[in-house]
Amino acid sequence: MKYLGLFSRDLRPSRLATLLLATALLLCLGGGVAAEVPKQQGPLPGDAKQPALIFPSDGAYCGAFLDFGNSEDKVTLEAIEKFERMVGKHQAIIASSSFWGEMTFPSKNVSLIIRHGSIPLIFWSPWDRPYDQEKPPDRFGLEEILAGKWDAYIDQWALAAKETNVPLLVSWGLEMNGNWFPWSGCWYGGEHAGPSGQTGPELYKKAYRYVVDRVRARGAANILWGFHANHYTYPHDGWNRMSNYYPGPDYVDWLGLSVYGKQFADDDWASFKNVMEEGYQELALLDEEKPILVAEFGVGEFPGEGSKAEWLSEALELLRTHYTRVRAAVYWHERWANADGTFSNLRVNSSPEALAAFRRGLSLPYWLERPQLQAKKPTHSP
Amino acid sequence: MTTQRDDEYFVFLDTKGKRWPRLRLLIVLSATLLFVALVLFFQSLLVTSQLQLPATIREMKARLKVLETRDAQVIPGKHKALWNDFAKAPATDQSQPASRHRDRPPGVVRLGFSVDWDPGSYESLREHGNELTHLCPEWLTMTDGEGNMAVKRDTLAADLAKKHHLVLLPLLNNLDGDDANPEAVEGIINGPEDRRAHFVGALLAELRAAGAGGVVIDWVEIDVSYRQAMTAFLLDLATALHDIKMELWLCIPAGMELNVYDLEKLAAGVDRFVAILHDENSEKDPPGPIASQEWFSGWLATMTEYGQPGQWVVAIGSYGYDWAADELPAEEIDFDDVMTRAGRAGLRPEDIGSHSLNPHFQYLDNGVPHTVWFLDAITAFNQMRLVASSQAGGIAISRLGTEDPGVWKVLAIHDINTPSARDLAALGQMRAEGKTSHVGTGEFLTVEPTWEDGARQVSLDENGTVIEHLEKFPTYRTVYHQGQGGADQVTITFDDGPDPVYTPRILDILKREEVKAAFFLIGSNIESYPALVRRIVDEGHEIGIHTYTHPNLATVSNERAFLELNATERLIETVTNRSTTLFRPPYNADSRPHLESELRAVQLAQSLGYLTVSNNVDPEDWHDATRESIIERIKELRPHGNVILLHDAGGNRSATVAALPEIIAYLKRRGDSIVPLGAMLGVGPEFLMPPQRAEHPSLAQVVSASGFKALHVVEELLWAFMIVATVLTFVRALFVAALAFVHRRREKRNILLQPFHPPVSVVLAAFNEAKVIRETLAALLDTRYAGLLQVVVVDDGSSDATAAIVGEIAAADSRVRLVTTPNRGKARALQTGFVVADHEVLVTLDADTRFTPDTIAHLVAPLRDDTVAAVSGHVRVGNARTFIARCQSLEYICGFNLDRRAYDLLDCITVVPGAASCLRKSAVIAAGGISTDTLAEDTDLTLALHRLGRQVRYAPQAIAWTEVPESFTDLTRQRFRWGFGTLQCLWKHRDLVFKPGQGPLGWFSLPGTWFFQIFLVALTPLVDLLLLLSLFWGAGAEISLYFVVFLLTDLFLAVAACLVEGEPLRQAWLMVPMRFLYRPLLAWVVWKSIQKALKGAWVRWDKLKRTASVVTH
Repeated sequence: MKYLGLFSRDLRPSRLATLLLATALLLCLGGGVAAEVPKQQGPLPGDAKQPALIFPSDGAYCGAFLDFGNSEDKVTLEAIEKFERMVGKHQAIIASSSFWGEMTFPSKNVSLIIRHGSIPLIFWSPWDRPYDQEKPPDRFGLEEILAGKWDAYIDQWALAAKETNVPLLVSWGLEMNGNWFPWSGCWYGGEHAGPSGQTGPELYKKAYRYVVDRVRARGAANILWGFHANHYTYPHDGWNRMSNYYPGPDYVDWLGLSVYGKQFADDDWASFKNVMEEGYQELALLDEEKPILVAEFGVGEFPGEGSKAEWLSEALELLRTHYTRVRAAVYWHERWANADGTFSNLRVNSSPEALAAFRRGLSLPYWLERPQLQAKKPTHSP
Repeated sequence: MTTQRDDEYFVFLDTKGKRWPRLRLLIVLSATLLFVALVLFFQSLLVTSQLQLPATIREMKARLKVLETRDAQVIPGKHKALWNDFAKAPATDQSQPASRHRDRPPGVVRLGFSVDWDPGSYESLREHGNELTHLCPEWLTMTDGEGNMAVKRDTLAADLAKKHHLVLLPLLNNLDGDDANPEAVEGIINGPEDRRAHFVGALLAELRAAGAGGVVIDWVEIDVSYRQAMTAFLLDLATALHDIKMELWLCIPAGMELNVYDLEKLAAGVDRFVAILHDENSEKDPPGPIASQEWFSGWLATMTEYGQPGQWVVAIGSYGYDWAADELPAEEIDFDDVMTRAGRAGLRPEDIGSHSLNPHFQYLDNGVPHTVWFLDAITAFNQMRLVASSQAGGIAISRLGTEDPGVWKVLAIHDINTPSARDLAALGQMRAEGKTSHVGTGEFLTVEPTWEDGARQVSLDENGTVIEHLEKFPTYRTVYHQGQGGADQVTITFDDGPDPVYTPRILDILKREEVKAAFFLIGSNIESYPALVRRIVDEGHEIGIHTYTHPNLATVSNERAFLELNATERLIETVTNRSTTLFRPPYNADSRPHLESELRAVQLAQSLGYLTVSNNVDPEDWHDATRESIIERIKELRPHGNVILLHDAGGNRSATVAALPEIIAYLKRRGDSIVPLGAMLGVGPEFLMPPQRAEHPSLAQVVSASGFKALHVVEELLWAFMIVATVLTFVRALFVAALAFVHRRREKRNILLQPFHPPVSVVLAAFNEAKVIRETLAALLDTRYAGLLQVVVVDDGSSDATAAIVGEIAAADSRVRLVTTPNRGKARALQTGFVVADHEVLVTLDADTRFTPDTIAHLVAPLRDDTVAAVSGHVRVGNARTFIARCQSLEYICGFNLDRRAYDLLDCITVVPGAASCLRKSAVIAAGGISTDTLAEDTDLTLALHRLGRQVRYAPQAIAWTEVPESFTDLTRQRFRWGFGTLQCLWKHRDLVFKPGQGPLGWFSLPGTWFFQIFLVALTPLVDLLLLLSLFWGAGAEISLYFVVFLLTDLFLAVAACLVEGEPLRQAWLMVPMRFLYRPLLAWVVWKSIQKALKGAWVRWDKLKRTASVVTH
């Protein structure tokens, strides 16, 4: 059983004893669930009052991003319940975005998701309205962040996150190894040093650490930070490799991957294995221990081309049997219109066959529908 | 003949004659006081509260304003002429595909789209159905890719279509609420053969059942990847429809979505294409024209190139969109709403822009700028001209209910390309009467009931375009909505309470969950459960008025409606020391009232300073609901509404109570904050429920408070009385019946007469009995009695032949002796008779009573026991011919004889009737003889014998047939005499009641007589009145329950009595009519007796009357 702890900067021995006692008590009460003492790894546990998220090694969480509107943050219970009814399973993780342009912490979404019994996965993306891809950096550029221009916002966000008092999966600056988001290295000179004197990936790393440090300094120890890359590096150059962006084990609690099959009419059809394999291997090399989360996956429906039902079946099957470090898979359930009048329908119910395949795959007990939380049991002091 | 003596004493005689005048004075004074109190009370109810809602809330019309900075208005730039991308490629092959639609004539079709959720849609259909040819109501919705459909049969629309001879074409769409559900279509058209076939089968079956002429398909947001599948599917469907003589109509969107339809191929199968030529900018787009002329004409020309022009039906919009600031989506509004907003905001005609021939304007609502674009009769006019020249097959109105009524005038124009001046002038008049428009959002309603017709100038410009100049906006009756609250704010409201069972349970839940709610209370319930009302307020909830008696205010008089509100307000003030400004009308708490009758209540409430609160989440917990159905419905409706209506009274509300915790949990899970109404409106609790200044209550408040308290006490007493009386009556009936049965069993055992034949003197007082005396004596003398018999007839100064007849008989039969005295009344005649009688054993009978040959023997038998001083015979009705007599017969059987059996068993018989009795002379003398101070000397004597400790028995076998009055008047007289006599005796012997040592007489039969024969009988009319009133006021159920118990008890006694006496059971049913005829009579008698007793001057005339009544035949 893998166990992901929370950070703690100061844990005094006297307090530790109390914690040990309290935790022991909790564990006794917890009975079977806590019978196995989880293997301690990575960051150290923090405040014992906060439960930690367990990633059981014999299963993976299922989760979803639903069509939450333009800014991806209009989380509603109706949408969640409708999706769960459709796929036949409660979702352990509900993903939604927190775009910097809104200048808020999504407290309402987070508490709604928690009350629903799920763990929030927040894509905390530093960009401004309108949220259109393939747009150059805006007022939330990496340099601006590093210059401290948004410290107040980061602090406010951190305090609000801390107040939720539950584990939050946060993915900051996702899919940085692509070219469609303004925080990607390619917008900052790529392999060449930009005006800041650093390469794009270097700047990204610095900004990532800056943001995480700042949030931690506000005491938001309940956040599990994810390094969340795209399955396919684009431009597909050496400088753009995931490892060049990796901010280091101290800043990362989980490794995240976006895995998409064919999304647009002019894409070629590709099987799940085709799109997963390379990115998974590359990501897995970054750290041997950290859990891997498929933070986004999905595929469009293209009648007459590949079978979406097969793609989904294969995805859920391989994630279970082959990509064994994957501890969670979050489906991107959305349909959108493209400028040319075509639609990209990633919804699981884009066809009755696709839905049936998804339901079938997800119905296995391997896919955990409830997050498993455990009070912290610190095993050693820092 | 008038032999009354003024010096003679009678019970209740008022010798000084002062009792009545004093009493009368007292009564008059009390009545005056009561009257004054009532007047003051009602007047206090008419004093309105000084409710002071700020003008911002009361006067909603002030909130709409002209937006002065009009230059800020952005007109969207021209769109790319997208229609050009869809232009039909020049045909290389000249041969047209075979089409069954080659000869569609132009301009024939007039299709109307209708919906079932807007009453305006039906109104328009009713009014203009004759001007249409086809009707397309919302009907079928595809719900998933498996082919499931939600069917919402609009039978009203179907009926109206039939009435106007329209072809019914139900709509098949793929909407999920406001969103598209393309997968539902894609899954079918791209699905396997059997799924498609199954779907088509289900569709055809539904169309057939609806009596439809075909179907209109309106599918949106379908992916172009399905183009081929779409074509194949639709052509198959067309074939299937044609096979059963139905048509396939297909809505064709303008825009990129058109890609999915291969018009060229489809034209071969689809009967009609419906070009949707509106929503160029929809509610999900930023503000802009809904169908600019260029856009319309471009798409029209492009589309009609495909297939035959006559195959096309062009959907013309007539509605508006209202964008608040830059919020999306915009609000879709009717044409009346458009005009009302412009007119009420005070816009000038020049404030209306007409970019691309689409009118639009801006205004301010509560400081928020709004942009409105709309389509009206003039845009329709221009569009129809284009349609006409395109040779298209006709038009569709999108939609019925939102349209500018002028559209129908345009349709009526004979030649649309050359309209006459009259045609144009007709469009100028804009009538506003009868319609209701809505402004704003939220469940707090105020009404502006006025309307004004509008006017516009319509003309043709040099290009032949129809242009309009709005001279005066028509303004419609307007409902202003406010208090929308935030997206996550929701209020729970409870109607009809308080209720002693459910309200406390609901309050407990609300307290536990820390939720504040609003309660709309009914005055009569407040009056009954004031403590609950105080608890509601103390626990921080809001209260509002739901009227006093829950009538439908649309159907009551204005005065009544006023009183309904004001009395409830007074009561709330009395109970809580607070006023309330919230009101919810019973029955009509719909979010969008539109009928004048519905608006009346809102208007009245508003004029009194109240704010009407409607609701938009009605889980129908008042109507066959379960916990689950309530929760499900709230989940379904919550996304579209935020004021939840529940009920805490008015029926079994256990489902509501059971659902409430889950409702609250659900709303909290949803991320909602459950807030009181004030928060929706953005005001504090003091605002909606201002506290009373307790230290200085107004006189009106004091009066109304005392009045309500007095009412409360009276009501409690009445209920207590109803309950006690019912229980006592019922218990007594059971007891008496049981005793009677026991008595009957014992009697059977003792049926054999012991040889006991003492000499007997029969005493008979006769006054003018010439008609009956001969037969009475004959029956009497025909006795089988073995002992010595003497008959003493006292002729009480008869003026007829009585004395002569008796003398004649006496001459023939030595057992008979005639004594003649001056007329002095029956009591004195009997006294005389007793003196003359020779024997110790006396038997009395009335001159109209006939003994059987064995009566005397049975009467005398109990006297073997020396302690027995008197025996009552068994008096039966001998002349049960008329209804009244039959009633009396039944009354004798169950009222008198059954009681007597029961009393006999307990030795507490209260009356040995003079009509058939046996007395021991010595005992009579010891008891003071026959007294003359009451009218019921037999009762008096019986009670006197009881005082001596002597026994009084009943001989059921000693049957005496008597004659009873056969007319109502006679019966009334007789009963008055009895009633008054009984009252006298009860009063004279009042010391016996509950006297220790008196046994059953003092503790059972005498108190019983007081309660059941005087008190209860006297109150019968009151109970009847209550019953009638309660039936009238709608709360009859509880009172009628008591009434039914009473009636059943009476019936039960009648049945028991008939069983005991071996009488036929069928006469027991007489009890029911008797309840309604007899009881009121008895009540009247009792009241009259009481009145006479109080007056104390009854003696003089009554003596005459009563003697006369004895001789009735």
